[in-house]
Order: sequence, then structure tokens, then C-alpha cells
Amino acid sequence: MTATTTRRAASQGAEPPPRRPARKSGLREGRAAWLLALPFSLLFLTFTLWPVVQSLFMSFTDTRSRDLRTPFAVAFVGLDNFTRAFGDAKFLTSAGNTAYFVLVGVPLTLTMALAAALALDKGITKFRSVFRLGFYTPVITSIVAVAVVWRFLLQPDYGLFNTVLGWFGIDGPNWLGDPNWSMPALIMLASWRNFGTGMIIFLAGLQSVPWSLHEAAAIDGANALQRFRHITLPLLRPTLLFVSVTTAIGYLQFFEEPFVMTRGGPLDSTLSMSMYTYQQFGFGNYGYAAAMSYIIFVVIAVVTALQFRLLRENT
Amino acid sequence: MKRTSAIVVVTLTTTALALSSCGRDSGAATAATQGKTVSDGKATGSITVWAMGAEGEKLPELAKEFEAANPGVKVNVTAIPWDAAHDKFTTAITANQTPDVAMVGTTWMGEFAGLGALDATPPAIKKDAYFPGAWGTTEVGGTSYGVPWYVETRLVYYRTDLAEKAGITSPPTDWAGLKSMAKAMQDKAGAKWGIGLQAGGTGSWQSVMPFAWSNGAELTKDGGKAYNFNTPEMLEAVKYYQSYFTDGISDKAAPATPTTEPDFVSGKVPMFISGPWEMSAVEKVGGAGFKDKYGVMKMPVKKTSSSFVGGSDLAVFKNTKNRDSAWKFVEWLSKPDVQVKWYKLSTDLPSVKSAWDDPALQQDKKLAEFGKQLETAKAPPSFPTWEQVITSFDTEMEKVTKTGADPAAALKTVQSQAESIGTGQ
Amino acid sequence: MITKRKGHLWLYAVLTVAVVAVIAPFVWMVLGSFKSEGELRQVPPTWLPESASLDNYRQLFSRLDFTTYFTNSIIVAVVVVAGNLLFCSMLGYALALLEFPGKRPLFAVVMATLMIPGVVTFVPLFVLVANAGLINSLPGLILPFLVTPFGVFLMRQFFLGLPRDLLDAGRVDGAGELRIFAQIFLPLAGPALATLGILTFLGSWNNFLWPLVVAQTEDHYTLPVALALYSVGQNSTQYGLLLAGSTVVLAPVLLVFLIFQRRFIEGIATTGIK
Repeated sequence: MTATTTRRAASQGAEPPPRRPARKSGLREGRAAWLLALPFSLLFLTFTLWPVVQSLFMSFTDTRSRDLRTPFAVAFVGLDNFTRAFGDAKFLTSAGNTAYFVLVGVPLTLTMALAAALALDKGITKFRSVFRLGFYTPVITSIVAVAVVWRFLLQPDYGLFNTVLGWFGIDGPNWLGDPNWSMPALIMLASWRNFGTGMIIFLAGLQSVPWSLHEAAAIDGANALQRFRHITLPLLRPTLLFVSVTTAIGYLQFFEEPFVMTRGGPLDSTLSMSMYTYQQFGFGNYGYAAAMSYIIFVVIAVVTALQFRLLRENT
Repeated sequence: MKRTSAIVVVTLTTTALALSSCGRDSGAATAATQGKTVSDGKATGSITVWAMGAEGEKLPELAKEFEAANPGVKVNVTAIPWDAAHDKFTTAITANQTPDVAMVGTTWMGEFAGLGALDATPPAIKKDAYFPGAWGTTEVGGTSYGVPWYVETRLVYYRTDLAEKAGITSPPTDWAGLKSMAKAMQDKAGAKWGIGLQAGGTGSWQSVMPFAWSNGAELTKDGGKAYNFNTPEMLEAVKYYQSYFTDGISDKAAPATPTTEPDFVSGKVPMFISGPWEMSAVEKVGGAGFKDKYGVMKMPVKKTSSSFVGGSDLAVFKNTKNRDSAWKFVEWLSKPDVQVKWYKLSTDLPSVKSAWDDPALQQDKKLAEFGKQLETAKAPPSFPTWEQVITSFDTEMEKVTKTGADPAAALKTVQSQAESIGTGQ
Repeated sequence: MITKRKGHLWLYAVLTVAVVAVIAPFVWMVLGSFKSEGELRQVPPTWLPESASLDNYRQLFSRLDFTTYFTNSIIVAVVVVAGNLLFCSMLGYALALLEFPGKRPLFAVVMATLMIPGVVTFVPLFVLVANAGLINSLPGLILPFLVTPFGVFLMRQFFLGLPRDLLDAGRVDGAGELRIFAQIFLPLAGPALATLGILTFLGSWNNFLWPLVVAQTEDHYTLPVALALYSVGQNSTQYGLLLAGSTVVLAPVLLVFLIFQRRFIEGIATTGIK
């Protein structure tokens, strides 16, 4: 019995196979679907897609800030902006930094978010809302306060981190001042700041995992780990995909943390792709900056496609 | 939804109009021009003024006096946060949504004038009235596009009590003197670091350039048409700056947030170089009586004593519909007595030389020192690409101070990057 | 029964330690808002204010036209949240459960725009809004954010997790397609709508750059824009005002979180029926 329920649940979790619409209702279904899609599509077309098309156009031109009033009176340069980026040592450094940040930061954040969500959903019965609020506060605390406090926590001499490390006889590093430690420090900061968002989305997803399934499986003798693997995880797959995709997208564009903490230093060790792009926008090199944005976009698209593939097929 | 489709139509029409003029114009030559004259008589109509931060908050009070002196004029001040003010200006210029008058950061002048957004200064406004370094910030390609509103410059702050302990009775005046004073602070007065100098990174050029300017370095060549970083004067200054780090007098791994004020008060770092705003900042941390425990001195002399001049300018936008009244407001703000009033209201230092004769500015000895330094203080060239070029300078200086990179090679890199970026004029 | 009542004391202990570590900066922010500028710059920093005062708040409120900024922020946030909840769940549902021509390309385009860094479309968007004459108006502040690709993605993923059988059952009962969405699926989407509501509200409430650029006069400023005015100087930051301002901006967000998080609990009740 349990096995069948689980399988059904699993098939709900994955994307439905493209169904051939039944003869007559197909038309009605299509019409209803487009009716539902219409308001979004109109707003989206105007305020999102149109600016995107314009900026894409920009990336193939030599647009600088002074050209913006006559956006079409610029010269086409083909792929020059793109090839230039790949020859730009600073851009390559920033790409390496971003990869480091994403590869370590995303798994860490996801683990923290899922652990917190599971503990709050099924692990405890009292003070749930207190903990939920507590874990969510980093998300809503202003980045300025975050920056001030974290710089203090990371101080080499008397900061909290190094004080605690000192108890174990470890001589803590100069976190933000040492090019080798600045990135780990920012990864900790980012995971701390963002796991709350993942947590509430996981919590929403966990609400649709019926408790009765767990009870039935427990009667069948499944332990907590087995129940997590065979019941929770399959049902949670759409949510898991969502959180990992949006976290990865956010982290690939990471900007705020180095912006307030290190300004990309020391020695460019925390300069991210987004930050470098932002700088180029500030300098008025719109064409070049747009091209770099689309390079970031392609990377994100590839990573997202990979995640869709991985999380859909691996049951 | 009606509104949305209307917008789509509008957008498509404008695009079609813009498309009909495709292709880049051959670069328009920027010749020095002279602004048109402004009519006589009182200001009328209404003018919109943008000002940042505290200035934006306090300007309405002063503008009331202008309105009283010019019945029939209405001044609308919009206060804009410093954060992202630059983005607001560039987008406004792009969409032709500029105000009549605005406070403009000195290093933005080249960019905005390069965008063709600013109106040239009318001939009635005389440059001699202002500090020469500050006036220089308004000039782009030989034309002036506004006036300096208020100024700031950088001096050396030092703890007088600790200096005495270190055996320094009169402040040093030359490079060797400054360095031995910083060293003595470490050796005899218990300071951890002799002097706080920025170890590269964003804005560090403002600490390095005063030494270079004091050594006679010029940042432009070919008649002000090109960048000029790779000179013997610059090299000597950068080497001198670097020596503070290699000799262990300055901290090369200072924390990301400067702890300038508390370190100054505790005596951990009893000297640093900064602007006038640090006076109130260190006094706030130091508490009562700290005012008498520190002093400020002019930049030490190599060939001259020359510091960095910053602050903000006032500019009128080309798009203005009330040009005459806009310039009249700017002229009025430049009157010496109004400048003094503004100082009392905002503590912004006057850009007009004669305003400094006022007792309010002469009585404070530290303030007067800033006034003296302003006479010779210099501003960077107002090329539209300055911010971009100087970023690479800041990056190279970080390598020089933190990893001991060769100053000559660093300057060579900066110069070649500056040349490939170009002046943007 | 699963070992649920044992009370997992160790889990409480771990969670408590974690929560304390997590909220420390938040607590410091609130405490800091009562400190003087001098105390905030001390090294090492203090935890408890040496002499707590309301000076920062007094300055903040006396210098700001608070009601206007607050009203603007609320109007913008409420409309943006409403728009996102409605429009994004509509499309998200269609993408998750219905078949229609153009479905795949539509989802692909929505996902693609989610991945484009916002900074690149900022200037074209501003020019568009300026040409439409919406500068310095509430619609100018609202319209560009009324729908987000993020919202569609979130709602689609959530609806994918609901049983398809409900759709077929509705159809067998003869309910219209829109009715099935509005009366069967939407009520089940409580937790997801609550999540989207919180995240959208937070985004709109803290949005800084867009309102700054679109609002040309102070009567159209929102709270974050107005607060940035008085806390960040050209050369020096007034930390006290900044922390007090951040605390003030935060209060409504906390309230919204507390209201919406109740929906999570209701969510248990609805799904529990199954």
C-alpha cells in the first residue's frame, strides 16, 4: 500500500508528461490557459521583455552613456564586446571568484535551509513560529546593519569568530584582510543571510506532504532517514528544484555582500562578475557591460538547465 | 490593461522615430565655448533644484532668503540620497528629466558635460573669486560648466599630546620630517602604527595624489589632452608612499572598514590624512576635551605643499526652461555673505576665497589651516573617464602597498590602461 | 505514532543555539539604534547601550514627513503584492496543469528573464517609463513590478506538487476551467501564496534604486529612499540614524511576516484533509 502511494506521490512531484489534450476539452483548456496567462503576458512583454530586447541590442554595439539619448545612432561591433570580455584579465578573475562562491555557497545554503525547514516542520512541536521568525530575521535585517555587525564578528583581534576559534587553540585568520580567507567569510555571510528564504519555501512545500504517508510508512517499519528519502524528498522535488535554481541564480549574480564588506578586495579576491559589470555600467560602458551581463546570463541558463535535468531524472 | 497597450504604442512609435536616424555621427569636436549672458533684473518663475544628503535637507532654508529677495520666484528643492545619486543623474539625463539647477559632485562634471547636459557658465561669473583648484573642477575641455559651491581638502591629523611624548614639538614640514614623526610615534609614544594610510583600494588615489602633487606631478600632458601617470615625480611619490608600508609604519592589512576615529582616540594610530568632516567625527568618539588633544597640519613639502580638493559644484542643465533665474540662484549662492551663512547652516567650507575673511572661519585655528591648504589644493582632470581610469590606479596601488609590487611597473600599467581607455572627450 | 512526543530535547537545544547565533546581528541593530554616534564608533563595540536614548528616532521623525513616505510605500507594496499573487498564480497554474499552444516557449522566456541581471535592463526600462509619461507617479513606481518571473516559477513549482486528480475530478463534476482554478486549486495554494506574499512585500518594501530614480519630488519618495537621505553622507555615515531607520523600516515587514506565517499553519489544516 505504502509503495503505491509513494509512487503516485513521486509522479506528482515530477513534471507531468506532455498529455495529448482530449478532443473537445483541449480547445477549451487552451482558451482558459491563455486567459489565465494574458494579464501576466501583457505586463511582462512591456516592462520586462522589451527592455531586455533593447539591452541585448546594446551588447552588440559600442554604446556608451553619452549615446543613450540616441540609442540607435551607434555603431555595430558584432561580437567584439564578448571577445573583449574573455581577454579581460579582471573579468576572468571575477568569473573564477563567482564559480568558487556558487560551488561552495549553494550547497551550503540549501543544506542549512532544508535542515531548518525539516526540524521546524516535523521535528518539534513547540515554539515553531518563534524559531521560524528567528531564522528569517537575517533575510529582513538591513544589509547596512549586517555589514557593520559582521565586520565586527570577523575582526582578527577581538572578533567573535576568532575568539571562539581561540578556545580550541586555533589562531584565526584576518578574515576580510587576507585574500585567501575573504571569500570563505563572504560565503558564510551569504549562507547565513539567505537560508531563511529557502527555509520558508521548503516549509510551504512540506505542507503538501501528507502526514498520513509518514505514519503509514512508519507502521511498515521505515526509519526516519528512509521516510525522508522515499516520501519527503520525491514530493519535495519541485520545491527543491525551485530553491536550488533561484539560489543558484541569485548567487551567480552575487553583488551585495562584497559591495558592502570588501568592495571586491583585498586584491580582487572577492570581485564578482556582477560587481565588475556594475562597475562598467557606472563608467558608462553600456555596450561592454551589457555583453558581460549576457555572458552571465548564458552561464546561469546552462547551470539552470543542468539543475532541471538532474532533479527531474534522479528519482 | 488599456494603459499597457497605450504604452506599447508609445514605445513602438518612439523606436521607429529613433531608428530613422541610425548610424554614429563623426565625433563632434569639443571646442572651448563661452556661456550666454544672463539678463538683468530679479529672478522670476519657479526653479527646481536637486541637492544631495544634508545639503538637500538644509538648502530650502537658505532658498527662502533668495525668494524673499526676488519676489515672484519659487525654488523647489528636492533632496536626493548620496547613495546612487550618480545613477539618478545619468538616467535623468538620458530621459531628459533633469532639474534646472543641481549640486554635482566634482568628479562627475566631466561625465555630465560630456553628455551635453550642462549649460556653460555665463561670462558675468568670475573665476578669480573661487579657489583655483576648485574652479578647475568645473572646466571640461576648456569650458566652465558651473561654479564650485563648497570645498573640502585633506590635511594630516595628529595627536598633539602623543607627539609631545614622541619628542616632536613643532609639526614637520617636509617628507622626511613626516616619516620620522610617524616612526617616533611608534617608537616612543606607544602607537601600534605610526600613521594610517590607505593601503590601496577604492579611493586610495585621494591619499596618494597629495604626495604626488606636492612633488610637482601633473596628471595630464599634451596640453591637457591625455593622461600622464608614468612620470618621475609620480614614481618618487609612490615609492615614498610605499616605504611607509615596507618599513612597517603603516598597516598593510587594515580592516575593511576603517576604524580611524577609535584608533585615533585610543592612540593606536595617532596620525592620518583626511578631510574636515573628521574633526566632528573624532570629537564625537573622543568626548569632551578631546578637541585640545589633536591638531591638523598642511601636507608636508617636497617641492610644494599641495593637497586634494573635493566638494561639490553647482550646475545649470541645458534643458532648463528658466535659464536666467537658474543662474541668478547660482550667482546668489556664490556671494561671500551667503557662503558664510551656508557655512553656519551646513558646516560646508566656502569655495569663495573672500568668504574666508569672515571671523566665523578665522577664529577656529584648525579650520583656518584648511583654508590655507585650499589655496594650493588641486583637483584631478575632469575627463569623463576619470572614475574608470582611477579604479585601475587604486588596484595597482593595492598591489604596491600590500604585496610590495614594483611602483615603476605599477605606474606603467596604469598609464597603458589609461591610454587604452582614453580621456573620453 | 511516530516518535513525535518524545520532545527531542537535543533538537530544541541545537535550534536555540542556532537561533541565537542567527539573530545576534538583528538584536545588535535594534540596540544600536539607541546608542550615540560616539558609542557606535567605539572599538571594541558595545552590546548594551551605555546610555540609551531616543535621539536617533527623534531626529528621524522630526526631519521626515513620515506619513507621506509610509503611505507611498504601503500603496506600492500592497498593489505589487496583490498583482503578483493574482497574476503569477494564474500563469503558474496554467503552466503546471494545463496544456496550451505556446506553453513551452512561454515558460522558457519567463525563466530566461529571471536569469538576466537586473542592472542591464534598468536604463531601457527607465526610458520606457519616462516616454510613457509615468515619471513621478505611483503607476510608474508600481507597474514594472506588478508581475515577476520569480512569482510564476514559484507558483508553477508549487502547483506541480499538488495532485492532478483534483483537476480531473473537477472536470468530471462539470466545473469550468477557471472555476477549477479559483475554487479548487487556489485555496490549496495558501502556503505558497503566503511565501510569495512575504517575499514580494519584502522586495517592494526595500526597493531603493527604482523609486529613487522615478520619484522626482519628495512627495513621491518611499521609505527607503527617504531614509537614505539622512543616513549616508558624502564622506561620513551617521550610523545611529541608519540603524534607527533600518529598525523603523523593518517593523512593517515583521508584521507582514507574522500575519502571513499564520497561513502556513492553515496550510497544514487544508492539506491534512487528504
